[in-house]
Amino acid sequence: MNKNSLLIQRQKETNKVAAIFLAPVLIILAVYVFYPIISTFHTSLYKWNGISAEKTFIGLKNWATLIKDGNFWFAFKNNIVIMILSICIQIPLGLAMATFIDFAGKKANVFKVLWFIPMLISSVAIGFLFTYALATKGGIVSAVSNFFGGGNIDLLGNPKTALYTIIAIIAWQFTPFYMVYSMAGFTNISTDVFEAARIDGATRGEYFWKIALPLLMPTLKNAAILSMVGSLKYFDLIYVMTNGGPGRSTELMATYMYKYSFSEFNMGYGSAVAAGMFLLISAIALFTMKVINGKEED
Amino acid sequence: MKRRLISALFAATLALTTMCGISVSAEELTFWHVNAEGNDLDVVNAVIDKFNSTTESGYTVVGVPTQNDAYKEKLVIAMSSGECPDMYISWSGGPMNEYIESGFAQPITEQFNNTELPEKLMQGSIAQSSYKDEIYAVPFNGITVSGIYYNKTIFEDLGIEVPTTIGELEAACDTLVENGIVPFALANSTKWTGSMYFMNLAARYGGLEPFQKAVSGEGSFEDECFLWAGEKIQEWVEKGYFPEGVNSLSEDDGQARQLLYTGEAAMTCIGSWYTSTIKNDSEEFFSENIGWFKFPAYEDAPDVDDSILIGTVGDNFISFNCEGEALDAAVEFASMFADDDMVAFAAERGRLRPVNNIMDYVEDPVDQEIMAAVSGASAIQLWYDQYLPPAVANAHLDGLQEVFGLTKTPAEAQAMMQEAMEAYNAEAAE
Repeated sequence: MNKNSLLIQRQKETNKVAAIFLAPVLIILAVYVFYPIISTFHTSLYKWNGISAEKTFIGLKNWATLIKDGNFWFAFKNNIVIMILSICIQIPLGLAMATFIDFAGKKANVFKVLWFIPMLISSVAIGFLFTYALATKGGIVSAVSNFFGGGNIDLLGNPKTALYTIIAIIAWQFTPFYMVYSMAGFTNISTDVFEAARIDGATRGEYFWKIALPLLMPTLKNAAILSMVGSLKYFDLIYVMTNGGPGRSTELMATYMYKYSFSEFNMGYGSAVAAGMFLLISAIALFTMKVINGKEED
Repeated sequence: MKRRLISALFAATLALTTMCGISVSAEELTFWHVNAEGNDLDVVNAVIDKFNSTTESGYTVVGVPTQNDAYKEKLVIAMSSGECPDMYISWSGGPMNEYIESGFAQPITEQFNNTELPEKLMQGSIAQSSYKDEIYAVPFNGITVSGIYYNKTIFEDLGIEVPTTIGELEAACDTLVENGIVPFALANSTKWTGSMYFMNLAARYGGLEPFQKAVSGEGSFEDECFLWAGEKIQEWVEKGYFPEGVNSLSEDDGQARQLLYTGEAAMTCIGSWYTSTIKNDSEEFFSENIGWFKFPAYEDAPDVDDSILIGTVGDNFISFNCEGEALDAAVEFASMFADDDMVAFAAERGRLRPVNNIMDYVEDPVDQEIMAAVSGASAIQLWYDQYLPPAVANAHLDGLQEVFGLTKTPAEAQAMMQEAMEAYNAEAAE
């Protein structure tokens, strides 16, 4: 009896402390995440230029336009291309780099630092850096091509290659992140496992494919989801380097939203695009997580 | 101990900066502008100082310079969050009308007419400041028209005369191409730079009427003058009149200018701010090599007035978001940009105010030529991308960039622009 009330009292105190500790996070989330999301959905029901005091309620008209908006779906397709290629390039490459560093041990410390540098440069600086490197006049790519007699190469100015060029630059920027992510995964594998495998006669290759890789799988799955969500909401390099051009060939959902909201004075439709992005990204992320986790249980 | 000191310092700076943000008193008028650096900033500060030391209104002006690129977004966010400054600049046209319709700009016709501005300012600049029969802004920053800057030395070496017709211009371009020189230095990743060629070609083929009709809905952007301009551009691209990779060169990084400086290109069609831009880069190169001519006439359209220019008279326009005495004081401040001493001070630093007697202040021979063209112009059409509603402007710029890249036909690009215009007009009619 006595013991029970003590337990209840203790439970109460724990709850109180938990509430106090969680409150700041909850408030921040509510103000900066939940409220903006609700507000975005709310604004998407209005015709509003983003600055005037009056908004006109137009129901689902913005949404009807969005569903039929070819430009939006084209931007979505670009996002999907970035997503697929990012996952296929960045994660295997990052894993390969991490494996190299892990196998080479202390000797490879210099690579650890060198390879991480792109991650430390701000996106805007990377944008400028590559705009110059890819310039047809005096850029390094064209200069090398000229040296071998190939003439200038205009990667960013051609609607067919611009998107893929940017994907390569994004990979240059973010692969180091997945390298560090995989390295953390490697440190989680106990050295006992490695030693046991070696004693049992496994080669390094066998150890990697049959032991390390399966053990790293949860890490890689998380990495894939991170990369996926990141690609779907991607904005900065495109904004700095092509601003959606040439024409609209590198338009993404986020840059499309930005244009409507801030340069075309159509905050209502811009909000509909943002809300549409939210729904699409959530749906894809939930679906993927379900598929991945479903497999895990098998 | 040391760490505590550092954090105390941080806290103090943080508190200070927050306080700065809210310490604007009622008698202060904030003025947002984009003359953020060097000479441009000096000439604006000179006017602010003059107002603050001479005014009897009891108000003082605080200038807030912002970088051009970030300015438009910053302004929109300020307006939507109720922090709109008392005075701010815009480039007139579509966005200014949007600010007016949303209640962030007060009409100033009465105050305006009480100053000397109506006599001093160029008529065209006042027209650009007006909306629905009221004056809403004070133009102050400059006169900017597009025309062709060319390298005199290259022209002389190759025996090319300054062209007066588009046929002659094309002949000159052919000679340049034969000699391995790119005729036009154009960096079109910025999109509006290519529009300079398009606007001028369309105006030379059909005057300004097709454009005005297309905007009002009577006509269409699929009018033959626009199609012709697009086709001409593609013809020029195919003949190599523009640099390779034109759509990835960046005007902001000066990649077009570079081509001029190295002598790889001989001409560029651009706004008249290039006089001071090139001078800033190299005074010597400018005085030795650079000349200017107005976009040549089209010989097959003899009825079209070829004095028409594309550009802006005023460039930056001050809008007012205040009332009563504050508004009176603000207009008094804005009118000081047209004071003789301020106009002279600005002219010395390469900024030509939109005043009637500006010719008295112009000393540079190239600028004199440009101003002569301005005074001789029967009309000056504001840049399409600033005049049009932003959605239509974006459709124009996106489509035209693909015309330069040969990935869209002029007909497709113009259809896209027309569609955007129709959508805008339909919505405005609702």
